Amino acid sequence: MSHTGQFGRITLPPEQQRAIRRAVKWEVFTIVYTSITIAVIALVVGNSQAMRTAWIEDMLSLIPQIAFLTALIFVRRRPTLEHPYGLHRAMGVGHLVAGVALLAVGLNLAFESAAGLIAGEHPTIGTVVLWGHTIWLGWLMVIVMAVVIIGPVFFYGPAKSKLAPVLHNKLLYADADMAKADWQTTVASIIGVLGVGAGVWWLDGAAAVFISLGIIWDGVRNTKAAVVDLMDERARTYDSKSAHPLAADIVAYLCDRPWASDAAVRMRDQGQVFHIEAFVVPRRRKVTVHELTETAEGVTALDWKVQDVVIVPVERLPDEADTGR
Amino acid sequence: MDTSSRFRRQPRSVGIVAALALSCTLAGCGLTIPADPDGTLDAVTGGELRIGTSPDRDLVDVRDGVPSGSIVELVDDYADSIHAEPDWTVASEETLVTMLEDGELDLIAGGITAETPWLERAGVSRGYTGIDGADGREIVMLVPLGENAFLSSLEAFLDEEVGS
Repeated sequence: MSHTGQFGRITLPPEQQRAIRRAVKWEVFTIVYTSITIAVIALVVGNSQAMRTAWIEDMLSLIPQIAFLTALIFVRRRPTLEHPYGLHRAMGVGHLVAGVALLAVGLNLAFESAAGLIAGEHPTIGTVVLWGHTIWLGWLMVIVMAVVIIGPVFFYGPAKSKLAPVLHNKLLYADADMAKADWQTTVASIIGVLGVGAGVWWLDGAAAVFISLGIIWDGVRNTKAAVVDLMDERARTYDSKSAHPLAADIVAYLCDRPWASDAAVRMRDQGQVFHIEAFVVPRRRKVTVHELTETAEGVTALDWKVQDVVIVPVERLPDEADTGR
Repeated sequence: MDTSSRFRRQPRSVGIVAALALSCTLAGCGLTIPADPDGTLDAVTGGELRIGTSPDRDLVDVRDGVPSGSIVELVDDYADSIHAEPDWTVASEETLVTMLEDGELDLIAGGITAETPWLERAGVSRGYTGIDGADGREIVMLVPLGENAFLSSLEAFLDEEVGS
């Protein structure tokens, strides 16, 4: 899969090819690491609601990686008669699935934890025998949570957040963002368990509610980002914070053509690459086919993300098109 | 000048106070971990341990309302270890669990196994297969929900006596 740089219609530049290979490696590493984490937490999860919530969050955190790797198989394919725009939307679909799953499970966990808290359920945490000694299971929970946090916060979280802008991949960015925020879950679950240890039974439920709210928030953010992309929002940067600067660059390039008097674009994000409709008002209402072809090639050469570009000569620019001003 | 240097020192002193508070908490200024929210272990130590049981084929024999058998001896020994006087109540399991929830019992011991359906209403101890008459069953005991110091003390005793 990673031996070719094929990416829909284009071949990726070397920097992006390298980034995508590294992203795949990190995603596979994350899946292995998280699977081990899930197995280890299963041994100590006990009756703590906070631990249970953190454990389920770990399981949920596998979804973005699986979605990314699955989508990657599809987005590489060339456009065909059946799929004339290629399959780049697979990344957005994966993002949406991850968002909705987080939201649904987060709401369920928040409800469950709040109900337990209101009902005044006292979490029962007993002991375990370890190398012949009877020790309180809570200590093991604290140790396990403190150890498993190392991966997301110090290794794969920062690594993926460096790759996301290079690849303009929002799913990877969201994934990295959640990994980096994982320490909050860990701290909350440790406080919950230590609270139970100190006899403050409600701290466990309160920590579980806090963790579930974090999951809900991730769900809302991801669902929203995925939906607006699938609804063909104006292309934005990988972190969805501002309009993508490429639109203005393309308009500037178009206006520089000797045959063009004015220009504007409609640019949508198909997942990692852009689909661009460029409207150009030709001087003296004349343009040759050769000029159009040359301009289309020029726009494509501006950035690897320019995957599909259509140049439309018009009498006046559509109101909704981006003039880059 | 003086004021500004005192201001600079302030965060450090806050840190020291926080560190002291934390180490005090962990090392125990009257605090042990785990603790009981309702103080069961404190109440029964040197006092009365109220235990509920139901007749069981090999574990609990009841004659004239007085239970005997291997598990009764085991729990009596535990009561001894914390200088408590055992007080036995014989009733059906559901009645006992309700009494446990209402704070009328501290412990339920008998032919209850790890497959007990009372998980939601009682704290369940680890399972022990080494009790005489258990006949391969994994025997658990029930404590009030969340009384973790009491549960830990009981499990530590059982590990010593009948642990594998």
